[in-house]
Amino acid sequence: MVGQPIYPLLLVVLPLVAFGVLWAIFRQGVPRDLPVAVLDRDGTALSRQLVRMIEASPTMRVAFRVASEGEGERLVREGRAYALVTVPADLERAVRRGEAIPVVCHYNAQLLLPASLVRRDLRGVVGTLSAGVELRRRHGAGTPRAVAMAQLEPVRTERHTLFNPELSYLSYLLAALLPAMLQVFVLVAAVQALGSELKDGTGAAWLAAAGGRIAKAVLGKLLPATVHFWLMGLAMVAVLFHALELPLRGSLGAIVAGTLLFVLAVEAVGLALVAWLANLRFATSAAAFLAGPAFAFSGITFPVAAMPLAARAWGALIPLTHFLRVMVDQAMRGAPVAVSSLPLAALAAFALMLPAASLGRLRRVATNERLWGRP
Amino acid sequence: MRGYAAAFAAELRTVRRDRGALLVLVGAVLLYAAFYPLPYLPEVLKEVPVAVVDADHSALSRRLVRMVDAHELVAVRFEVPTLAEAEALVRSGRAGGILAIPDGLERDVRRGERATVGAFADAAYFLVYRQALTGLAEAVGTLSAGIEIRRLHAAGLSEAQARAAREPVPLLLRPLFNPAEGYASYIVPSVLVLILQQTLLIGIGLLAGTARERGEGGTTASPLATTLGRATFYLALYALHALLYFGVVVRVFGFPHHGRPGALAAFALPFLLAVIFLALAASHLFGRRETAIQALLFTSLPAVFLAGFSWPPEAIPTWLRLGSYLLPSTAGIAGFLRLDQMGSSLAEVRTEWLVLWGLTATYFSLAWFAAARRPARGSSGPPPGRE
Repeated sequence: MVGQPIYPLLLVVLPLVAFGVLWAIFRQGVPRDLPVAVLDRDGTALSRQLVRMIEASPTMRVAFRVASEGEGERLVREGRAYALVTVPADLERAVRRGEAIPVVCHYNAQLLLPASLVRRDLRGVVGTLSAGVELRRRHGAGTPRAVAMAQLEPVRTERHTLFNPELSYLSYLLAALLPAMLQVFVLVAAVQALGSELKDGTGAAWLAAAGGRIAKAVLGKLLPATVHFWLMGLAMVAVLFHALELPLRGSLGAIVAGTLLFVLAVEAVGLALVAWLANLRFATSAAAFLAGPAFAFSGITFPVAAMPLAARAWGALIPLTHFLRVMVDQAMRGAPVAVSSLPLAALAAFALMLPAASLGRLRRVATNERLWGRP
Repeated sequence: MRGYAAAFAAELRTVRRDRGALLVLVGAVLLYAAFYPLPYLPEVLKEVPVAVVDADHSALSRRLVRMVDAHELVAVRFEVPTLAEAEALVRSGRAGGILAIPDGLERDVRRGERATVGAFADAAYFLVYRQALTGLAEAVGTLSAGIEIRRLHAAGLSEAQARAAREPVPLLLRPLFNPAEGYASYIVPSVLVLILQQTLLIGIGLLAGTARERGEGGTTASPLATTLGRATFYLALYALHALLYFGVVVRVFGFPHHGRPGALAAFALPFLLAVIFLALAASHLFGRRETAIQALLFTSLPAVFLAGFSWPPEAIPTWLRLGSYLLPSTAGIAGFLRLDQMGSSLAEVRTEWLVLWGLTATYFSLAWFAAARRPARGSSGPPPGRE
């Protein structure tokens, strides 16, 4: 198996490169200092204070001071600024007169992630400024500070972020993307290992070497790969929860067992593809079709519960969906192990039922000379 | 010129004869357009289930619960007596948020003291988190504003004065380009561009691997004419695909599409050429038929997050950001997104446009060089068995 140059590439080099690149992309965890443009039509102490507060916010950086709305909108359309914040003329005077004219923020809502960060921080900044102005006014009018605070916001919301207080994309996305890549590695390797016996016409010899027992032949072929990928999965777990120090609140045992079941489940899918498509290229294409968009169907970005039924059904047929449930529930949420029993059982079902349904077929196609060497 | 036309015709024959290549270069392009948008079709996540812990049991707290339930982003699904029970619901994934109303809410409000309501959201899934917290905070904010405005009314202020008094500097948020912030509109148009790239790379790599396996190769035609002829064939095929994606698919799914056809075509040209020449150059690396799929499958997910539409490029390390421009998808997705979804002019995507022409020139040179050094396959020679 190691003799062919494709295997070191598929088993070691490409996985490490893909893991490394994804880690580098999300290394920062939370995007900071996103460029925004500011149009200050007021030019007073109050407006300058607002601009300073925007600059000081963690998410935003005042990258451009523009002279017109057109200039600012062009920067947004050119992708150089995520938002244009316009401070209206006469802001300070209006505030003094007790009128309210709004600060306007045009933001690029096509890019949802920067949009939500900019919106959240700008709401905070303008809210703080506004409350400060009003507090000073009421305080100046003789209202005690605490009373003024209560008047200003009779019912306040205290926001609590459960499980991922820093809203880090390392915990949220990287911890889900690495398993998605692992699924690609395992599926491609399993299909290659089994399918090449058909393609190269070595199926009969392969089977004979295992005493004619297909289960033994498959086991002999996939056992080293299973150990390899389980270790790779455990290395992934070690990197995520030890090296990157992402929180692991639940059961490490469930994650370790889940990683093994995940590898076995994905190999079982590869086995079924080779057996039923009886052709390395078709099986590889099908593997690509399955694994390529699998992340979209896993529910990490858009939740499964809100997907149309067809998308949910498709997602349930992919081992990644179930493994990511285990990862999220055990690592992030610290859920009881019982919560993960269903997704773990689903992975086990892949690993047991697909081979049960496919081994007989694989035996037939492996010894059918007409299926050998098909492109 | 004869070599050029012959290369074009030979490529057409090769692709038509190869079911696997057809599957990738035509089938996958069509299939993915219908299949990929599926999970995101609801566009906006609404009615996130929340659990309520009402320790006040007052008319005011019940009003707040009704207001939360009426908010389109959240739906009150559980009412439980303790916060611990509510958290268990979130932990098991049955609720996405919690509204915790403390004992004494109504009393504090009546006395003019400040009351605090707790909003908890599940940050294990960021979209759930955002919608739940937004829904809860907006419902509480509406309740709070109503109370304060009534008080100010009672003090003799007009409606406008009351509003100005409670919020001297309001913020007006104006979402551009994708005003509903739809999720499919955000993801799918960019992924379509990536699908064009990946299917081209895989399809061309697959044919090259097949030819290599069969020991084909060697051609008498000039490498330049062969390279150009083959590229023209793929350009023609993918111009049709691009027309389908940008002309039909975005309309069928109702994604924002403001691109002027001329500008889109002018941008598509260097994008497709860069991808095709990259594929022709890279195809010399694939010695077996399935190697292209296997190797390129690894690049899809990283390419998505390097393209800048889902993860801001400012957060990517500089060396990686610069390196990512070697993939045509990085400049390609950025440019198409702005042209079509944001209505930018070609001048406003000139940087990306120039990058793509630079890639076209580079990869063309590489493809030509590779074809001259070691002809990849005999597509421009006489087809086997027809001499």
